[in-house]
Amino acid sequence: MQAIVFDGVSYVYPSGVRALKDVSFTVERGELVVLMGENGSGKTTILKHLNGLLKPTSGKVFVDGLDTSKYTVAQLATHAGLVFQNAENMFFESTVWDEVAFALKNFGYSDDVVRKRVDWALRFFDLERYAGQSPFTLSGGEKKRLAFAVVLAWSPPIIALDEPTIGQDSLQKEKMLHMIRLLNTQGHTVIMASHDVEFVADLRPRIIAISSGSIVADGPADEILPDTEILRRCSLHPPQLALLMARLRDLGMPRKLVDVDTAARLLVERLRP
Amino acid sequence: MKVIEVRGLSFTYSGQDKPSLRDINFEVGEGEFVLISGPSGGGKSTLCRCINGLIPHFYEGELRGEVYVDGLPTSKTPTHILSQHVGMVFQNPQNQLFSLNVESDVAFALENLGLPREEIRDRVDEALALMGIEDLADRSPVELSGGQQQKVALASILALRPKVIMLDEPTSFLDPMSAMNLVELVDRLRRKLGLTILMVEHRIDLIAPRADRLAVIYEGQILYDGPPRDFFEKYDGHLYGVSVPKLARLSKEMARHLEWPGVILDIDEFERVVRLIAGHRL
Amino acid sequence: MSIFEGLRFRPGKSFIHRIDPRVKLSISIFILSLAAIYVDIIVLTLLISVEAFTVARAGVLRLWLRTLRGSIYLALLVFIITLVTRLLPGGPLAESLGYAVTYTYRLVVFLTSFSLFFLTTTPEEIALTLSRLRIPYEYIFAFVSAIRFTPVLADEMRSIMDAQRSRGLELDRGRLLSRVRKLIPVLIPLLVNVLRRSYELAEAMEVKCFGASKKRTYLRDLNIKPSDYAILAAAITLFATAIYLRVMGYAPLQILTGLELFNGM
Repeated sequence: MQAIVFDGVSYVYPSGVRALKDVSFTVERGELVVLMGENGSGKTTILKHLNGLLKPTSGKVFVDGLDTSKYTVAQLATHAGLVFQNAENMFFESTVWDEVAFALKNFGYSDDVVRKRVDWALRFFDLERYAGQSPFTLSGGEKKRLAFAVVLAWSPPIIALDEPTIGQDSLQKEKMLHMIRLLNTQGHTVIMASHDVEFVADLRPRIIAISSGSIVADGPADEILPDTEILRRCSLHPPQLALLMARLRDLGMPRKLVDVDTAARLLVERLRP
Repeated sequence: MKVIEVRGLSFTYSGQDKPSLRDINFEVGEGEFVLISGPSGGGKSTLCRCINGLIPHFYEGELRGEVYVDGLPTSKTPTHILSQHVGMVFQNPQNQLFSLNVESDVAFALENLGLPREEIRDRVDEALALMGIEDLADRSPVELSGGQQQKVALASILALRPKVIMLDEPTSFLDPMSAMNLVELVDRLRRKLGLTILMVEHRIDLIAPRADRLAVIYEGQILYDGPPRDFFEKYDGHLYGVSVPKLARLSKEMARHLEWPGVILDIDEFERVVRLIAGHRL
Repeated sequence: MSIFEGLRFRPGKSFIHRIDPRVKLSISIFILSLAAIYVDIIVLTLLISVEAFTVARAGVLRLWLRTLRGSIYLALLVFIITLVTRLLPGGPLAESLGYAVTYTYRLVVFLTSFSLFFLTTTPEEIALTLSRLRIPYEYIFAFVSAIRFTPVLADEMRSIMDAQRSRGLELDRGRLLSRVRKLIPVLIPLLVNVLRRSYELAEAMEVKCFGASKKRTYLRDLNIKPSDYAILAAAITLFATAIYLRVMGYAPLQILTGLELFNGM
């Protein structure tokens, strides 16, 4: 069964802004998908449809087989966990432990399950030692990890992340990269909005490129990221190595996304005397 | 001519026991473009606050050492005087625009200083023109995109006609195109007006090719201060919270197999070198 | 909330919009004062016609009507209270009805008297008016900030509510008491963010020389035009005449005489 189905979805905000125009795509279980596009292109609007915060103005959205127009946010949230871009600014409990337990209690899990899940989530995100501390005392990177823990505690089969790398330094980004890969290999469907091309290049997901509310392209990162035409339409610029390879096409460099080792091997082969 | 001089600077915020900066020595010459990087919480913003006088005038704590900006000792000069020598653009564009239209925001600091109306008019028009945002003059900041808001913030600083402009992670909230536009604009202004630029940023690949120097601040100290490429030559930047541009990694990889001129951060230069070597081979 | 509908910023370029805000403010005050001293259906009708005419000329009639509609409940309340308090001590029905109608009518004129000012004046012009009235800049800054940051805070509130709903919080379920308790996960982050924002704003204000000079200057200013003087002169003349007539005891359909009309029915 498909994890996510968007079938001809249009969405118009009450202000009259048409944020999505006839968007259709399908995400299989266990896929890793990144929505790319500039700010205001509709990425966040798509994510908010996954747990029913927004319902399509026309068209249908199915999440885990459920028609989102027929369920409440609380019901859908157990299927699709959404981590907001500034989720680290949404804490309110007096301890890190309670912050993670909040959602589990809302979903009606028994005390025993709540305890097990909170402990698991804190361990997974390396936050155990802060369990009894106030969330407000954490550093920026730790808060970001707590924001993930808060949603992943209930282990939703679909995980939606909105611009997780914004304002993060390279160490935190690397941790995030590992974590996203790990969650994905554990069978979670991950869908993420991002315009961080280098981060996405490292992740090598399937990319859905969006521009002003419409899908421009949908395919593997290997094909999309080196495609300067698609990126230009989405106001993005290609990752450094893809750009370099494109410029050196006449020297026999390939039109695809390469990592550092591959780029080095290809260049050395071509240049070695 | 040194426009910023920091000598033996240490600072501990009141209420904290660990110093945020320890024995910093740092100089910037007029017209230089310095990129400041390092992990979050390492002390980058604290250094900026010491340079524009927010420390010790706005933030309390224990300050040791001396900071001179354009010859003025920051601890003895009021911030509104310092602001006319060193301007500051903050990370969040929303939180540095106060007015109901762009023009008033650019005029804000000048009005606060009580400058005559004609002079404010001249300076505002000049700043808007420098940023190429004359057409936004009557718009409300709420209607602007993040990139436009950041341009307004920069214009409002330019109107003060400072010698030095500091930007604290100015592109964090922007998408890649807007970030690139802003950085290019800052670089162009620097050349045109002879400004000195200090930019705190994580987007190394975007800025390093334009910067004269890279200063890496790690755990309250200056770990490295010099040409950007040498840093990546000597350090594994990643261990110090500095994202390593893919070109730097590729350069190091190339150097292992070929006669290669060290770390290259600029893609044009990289392409030239590849073509040069390829040409030799022919 | 629609009673405040009129207080919003609507840019416009009509003749009425271009009248100096101080003149418009004076006219609004005149209308309010006349409604206060004349308890007279004809005068009140005249006043509201003046309002309707100017508002229509400015092209904001529909908004003004919405303000009127918004005042219906309050008007109804005043009508009932007046009627009851007149009837209970044994007042005749017709007279009590007359009072109730006139008082209600007057309230509507009261509530709408400032529409002309607020519907056709931008917040920025209001701020400039305040500065010309020598209100200290700190207060003007507070007024401007309130308008500047209201939409920002509204957005923030919406996104916090979305985030907490994504964590299973059901704001619209349960009894009143539990609903109030459910606001905590929304209000605490909102408060924390407001504090953080104010700190950042204060920092930015500091580097932008806030409070540096005792004599703050303003780039933009209000320029009073000859036509503004003419309008003001006309308004003052009419106002003075109306006051004079009232003092002399003239009133076309004053409530007490007007009541005879009701009694005669």
